[in-house]
Amino acid sequence: MAEELIICRCQEVTQEEIVQAIADGAASVDGVKRRTRACMGLCQGKTCGRLVQGIVARETGQNPADVLPQKNRMPARPVKIGAFGGDEDV
Amino acid sequence: MYDVIVVGGGIIGSSVAWQLAKRQKKVLVLERRDSASGSAGATDGVVGYHTKKPGVQLDLAIQSINMFKTLEQELGVDIEFEDACGGMQPVENEEQWDILSAIVDEQRKSGVDIRMISAEEACALEPNLNPDIYGALYCPLSCGVNPIKLTFAFRSAAVLNGAEYRNNTEVTGFIIENGVCKGVVTNKEEIRADYVVNACGSWAGELGKLAGLDIPIKPRKGQLAITEPVGPFMKNMMQCALYNVIKFRPETIKDQTILKLGASMSIGQTRDGGIEIGATREFVGFEDENTFEAIDTMMKRAARFFPALKDVSVIRYFSGFRPYTPDGLPMLGKVDALSGFVMAAGHEGDGIAMSPITGKLIAEIIVDGAPSYNIDSFSPNRFL
Repeated sequence: MAEELIICRCQEVTQEEIVQAIADGAASVDGVKRRTRACMGLCQGKTCGRLVQGIVARETGQNPADVLPQKNRMPARPVKIGAFGGDEDV
Repeated sequence: MYDVIVVGGGIIGSSVAWQLAKRQKKVLVLERRDSASGSAGATDGVVGYHTKKPGVQLDLAIQSINMFKTLEQELGVDIEFEDACGGMQPVENEEQWDILSAIVDEQRKSGVDIRMISAEEACALEPNLNPDIYGALYCPLSCGVNPIKLTFAFRSAAVLNGAEYRNNTEVTGFIIENGVCKGVVTNKEEIRADYVVNACGSWAGELGKLAGLDIPIKPRKGQLAITEPVGPFMKNMMQCALYNVIKFRPETIKDQTILKLGASMSIGQTRDGGIEIGATREFVGFEDENTFEAIDTMMKRAARFFPALKDVSVIRYFSGFRPYTPDGLPMLGKVDALSGFVMAAGHEGDGIAMSPITGKLIAEIIVDGAPSYNIDSFSPNRFL
């Protein structure tokens, strides 16, 4: 039951898949992300990032504070492509 | 004691490790961070013919793309291979048309179907494309792949065949005895092997320094964007014509911003529905932040070719490094100056497409003593 728990709602990644990714060598949020797509959806890990961090810490025996979050990138929230430059051509 | 130590567990190193492990070699892969944490984790998945330099590079790409056809089956994992999704480069003016046409004439000598088509034909193939273009380059058999999935598929297949992987393991030096490379020193221990393969991508030059080699591979930053998932929007993996113009005729570019950023449009839709938009080619060392200048340029160009994108939102900008070499060709094979040291790096923007053939040829060089296909043009000794 707990294994089927969805951790990343955007990409529908379960706890079991995350644990499997860690067994396959992931030891960071980024490692889990690239193997499972967790944190890659619309919210960019705002919901699941902390949870993934906790699972990585638990499964690898690290202190949660030592597990780095994923790299922060622009934009902070989705931004329409039209917001850049409008109709002007380059 | 190992037969081969592969330094770099990315897409190239993992392809090499898989091919060596399949041939019963005892392989250890040392990865400074984690697989796909460098270039393959931050790029598009173009597996195209028309983006390759006419001649030896295109010929090698043809061999590599042929391997892709059976790769999914051999690796036993879904790598989101899009066979013959098509490749296209919309052209904006007569000058670009003439430059691309001349390159296409050369590329066709390798026997691939690459042609120039009218704006009407291009829009019939891609209905969301802006009809206000001069024409397009079209390569119907070009393909696409998910580069992250491919990297991990190589890695899993290598491990299944007996290769050993160590993440978070940095090589800090080499064991060199009487001018022969006998192994590596890591942040943890000394490890011996008959061969050491440098598959460090953009970092291959840094690794070379530790062995006293001056390898002219430099990182070239590529910035990209990924949008929210949308419905089926486009089928081809596309670049604007500037991509090939910058790659093959940079001297014809007048716009200084374009030249400095190496900015052209690359665009394709992932199986997930997100639209991946790039890209730049910047010499800024290992600085990997996204810049407003690049984002502004890329987004304007994306909207210029696909006006409907103005209402689509970007959820993340990111960047990766492309391993540049002075002549645009990778460095593949044994290094004469240091016996036991093998190069498999320097593919710049072609590493994803070239990964299968690179692994195969490097394994042949190590196991059989020579590759099954002549790759003298890619010899690392042209620079060393």
